Amino acid sequence: MNLRDLFLRIRALTAPHRVERELHEELTFHIERETQKHIAAGLSPVHARTRALARFGAVPLAADQCRDARGTGVVDDVARDILYALRTFRRAPLAALTIVATVALGLGLIAMAFTLFSAFFLRSDAVQHASELVAVERLARSAVEGSTPARADALSFTRAEYEAMRRETSVFTDAVAMLRPVRTRIEGRLVTGSLVSGNFFQTLGVQAALGRPLVTGDDERFAGRPVIVLSHVGWKKLFASDPMVIGRSVRINAAPYEIVGVMPDGFRGLGILSPDYWAPLALAGQFRDSYAGKQDETLVEVIGRLKPRLSVEAADAALTTWASRRRDRTAVPAEPGAVIVRPSQGILSTDTLTALLFFSPIFFAFGLILMIGCANVANLLLARGVARQREIGIRLSLGASRRRILRQLLTENLLLALIAAAGGFVVARSALEGALYLATTTVPPELLAVDLTLFVPTVTDWRVVVFLMAGATISTAFFGLAPALYATRLELVRTMRGEVTRDAHPRRMRQRLIGLQVGASALLLICAAIFLRGAAMASTVKPGLRTSDTVWVPISNESRRAALLQAVMAEPSVAAVAASSQPSNFVVETAARRVTVGMMPVSPGYFDLLDVDLVSGRGFTQAERTAEAGVMIVSETTSRRLWPDRNAVGQVLRLELPPSAARGASPSESAIPSRTFTIVGVVREAGEGFLLPDMFTFRGIYLPAGPEHAGTSLILRVRGEPEQARQTLVERLTSVDPGVGSITTMRAMAGMQTSVLRFAFQVTVVLGGLALILTVSGLFSVLSYVVEQRTREIGVRMALGATVRSVAGLVLSQSLRPVGIGLAAGASLAAAAAIALMATPAASAIGDMVRVFDPVAYALSGLVVVTACALAAWVPAMRACRLDPVATLRQD
Amino acid sequence: MARHVVPDLLPGTLDLLILRTLQTQSLHGWAISERIQQISQDVLQINQGSLYPALHRLEHQGWIQAEWAVSELGRRAKYYRLTPSGRRQLAAEAGEWERMSTAIGRVMKLA
Repeated sequence: MNLRDLFLRIRALTAPHRVERELHEELTFHIERETQKHIAAGLSPVHARTRALARFGAVPLAADQCRDARGTGVVDDVARDILYALRTFRRAPLAALTIVATVALGLGLIAMAFTLFSAFFLRSDAVQHASELVAVERLARSAVEGSTPARADALSFTRAEYEAMRRETSVFTDAVAMLRPVRTRIEGRLVTGSLVSGNFFQTLGVQAALGRPLVTGDDERFAGRPVIVLSHVGWKKLFASDPMVIGRSVRINAAPYEIVGVMPDGFRGLGILSPDYWAPLALAGQFRDSYAGKQDETLVEVIGRLKPRLSVEAADAALTTWASRRRDRTAVPAEPGAVIVRPSQGILSTDTLTALLFFSPIFFAFGLILMIGCANVANLLLARGVARQREIGIRLSLGASRRRILRQLLTENLLLALIAAAGGFVVARSALEGALYLATTTVPPELLAVDLTLFVPTVTDWRVVVFLMAGATISTAFFGLAPALYATRLELVRTMRGEVTRDAHPRRMRQRLIGLQVGASALLLICAAIFLRGAAMASTVKPGLRTSDTVWVPISNESRRAALLQAVMAEPSVAAVAASSQPSNFVVETAARRVTVGMMPVSPGYFDLLDVDLVSGRGFTQAERTAEAGVMIVSETTSRRLWPDRNAVGQVLRLELPPSAARGASPSESAIPSRTFTIVGVVREAGEGFLLPDMFTFRGIYLPAGPEHAGTSLILRVRGEPEQARQTLVERLTSVDPGVGSITTMRAMAGMQTSVLRFAFQVTVVLGGLALILTVSGLFSVLSYVVEQRTREIGVRMALGATVRSVAGLVLSQSLRPVGIGLAAGASLAAAAAIALMATPAASAIGDMVRVFDPVAYALSGLVVVTACALAAWVPAMRACRLDPVATLRQD
Repeated sequence: MARHVVPDLLPGTLDLLILRTLQTQSLHGWAISERIQQISQDVLQINQGSLYPALHRLEHQGWIQAEWAVSELGRRAKYYRLTPSGRRQLAAEAGEWERMSTAIGRVMKLA
């Protein structure tokens, strides 16, 4: 294409009337000149003109060919195709509506999955130059060689180290420190906060939407100002987007804080979900008691902004050198190991491949619905293609090329798909809200660490729009191409005569589509059945700890511990109180071996209160309330592991302090001296399962502790309904400590596993149900159509003596094969996926959760599919049987 | 009377004839068709219906350029003239044609 050509094309597009006029003038001139010639030769003007016209041939045809030469025909054609398509929709609105609704549903569901994918992996946080931001991490070496692989630890620097890193290295333009999440209450509601260094907002380049962001002055060492900045979601949630909120004072952990600013919508503070507020890091002591007065020891995440043009490798090297030099200078025996940086843009991972791998099952499940929907639409279009044979036949015989008509049909389909994409956007939004609502109602809210509604994006994510457009185009190819090809493969003469051509019956195509649909539905229903059975199994499994009347009370504010304990003791509904801390790993040494085991401090009443039976020996006495008592209790498996050949009671072991304890990771750990302990008892194992708090699945060594000790949480046995008791406790305890954490019944904690499986079941059963409904309606309409098309043939058969049974068989046989093949394909796909899953490292975790080869699940879903298909086939079959042979033969 | 419609000849011949006709002067469509007919002594009668599409195509290819001018009838007509790239194209096509007709002539004479 040359410049001249481009100019002519643009001119034809921008000034079409002028170009048309010129073409007309040119051709008219030719005719006139020819007429003149004939007149000059002696002909009468009328005769001359006739001659000239005859010699020229069809003027419109020549004009049309000139237009083709312009090369703007495509644009004109598309415009004409769209007009034609709109007219077709008006003539058959029901068919158009069905197609749009079906495709919109499918596109909407997969777009919903994509919205989540985008939120987790694509939507970088709204900060300046997000690609420069990296998280700084220390590669920790595990305490015992070879027991666990080295892994990066996000919270691996103290505030002092962070300050030193900022001063002493030159890889960053600036770096920020963060401590998150801190869970507290504001005005009685549980909220999530993030403590950040004073340069946080300035370094990220984010301006406040209202008021001001936090500044360096708010975060002076030992002089942090009690101010907070609200996030957009926090502002909406807590203050209903009140613009007058700036300057207002709120109480967090019983201390007053002034709200100085509100951050803009879309800024998430380098997380996937935005916290509700940000507060200065210098105030860490008010949020975590262990940091009170020890500000420099606050463990923080460090996020740096890499200097431009500095590679990640160079940064790694510089930081590792810095860390090792620093270790030489400081007396603290810091862990050896490299320091690395990792991209940090407020998304889970910048590695899109892993992300896709993680999300592909979800995309696949949701994509199946789209596929089934498209198959239905394809079937509908096949049927319509036969109905439109006359129209297409006439256009073909008037000289339209097959390509031209194909393009027309595809334009029509694409237009429908794009309308469906717009509908899909709405479907995606409402489906996401629906699913999250379902999740929040299935899973007890006090267990959810995050507010799920945050996943519904407040601003339109352009990636979702692009995704929908691409999805619409691909769907068009899937549902529209084959029917269009079939519809244009016509025998012209017979079509014009009004006969429906026999070979336009795309029977095989139809059967394939039905097989596909049945297979996909079967696959989804099998998954649903497996989840359902898993949930049923999980709900019957005993959690190992007493959950019927127990409540868990975390204490986050150590200064209020005594008061809280007193309030709990005074509460009439509380029957007994015990306590436990988070388990952590230690290295222990017996006479024979040296192993890493989990260790959990518990109070003397713990075993009694939670019904953990003693196997041998005794429990802790009321006097044994600290590690100083020198006694331990082990669980059965740990006892077998440490002393395979004898009773553990009376045995002695030595505890070794891990390096992290020396760095003062947590006060409860540093309180344990390195010394020798005697085993006084052996207890039964706690329960098994996944997604349960550590307490439920703990296998290891119990250390003595007391509810009055820092770091422990309270476990209460209550009288009456535990949920009611929980509410009373929440009310009573928030008045003592407004920052008290999430008080939960143990029943709810144990039900987490069942809840998650039940949610998975609900999602897959909704998908499977949709798939089945689409499949059944597709099967039904195809068979009805076949019966209608073959009315005459059936009539003849009946007149010749065919029985009702053989007629019914004729119709049913149409569906038997594809349903059978589809079912087998779906089941084997499910089995293949299961085999593939069990080959992955996650096999044992999945095995704990569900039985992937559950024969009952397979049989059950097969039965559902077959029954539904039989019902769908039954009605058309019966209609065929009830045909009156005489009436059908008398037709036409 | 031996009448040949040009596209019955080898494909692309019409383009060659148009380009050659425009080599010395700019002409409007009717004049091009008249001139080909005259020079070929009425042997080649161009299908006038396909003349204009050919002219438009050549114009898009940049080989000829159109401009409006007053014609012998005293009214506006669209005159086509050869562009430099059209001149090169003509030279190439004419050479090719020469080779072809000589070859065919030899076969007709000698085979």
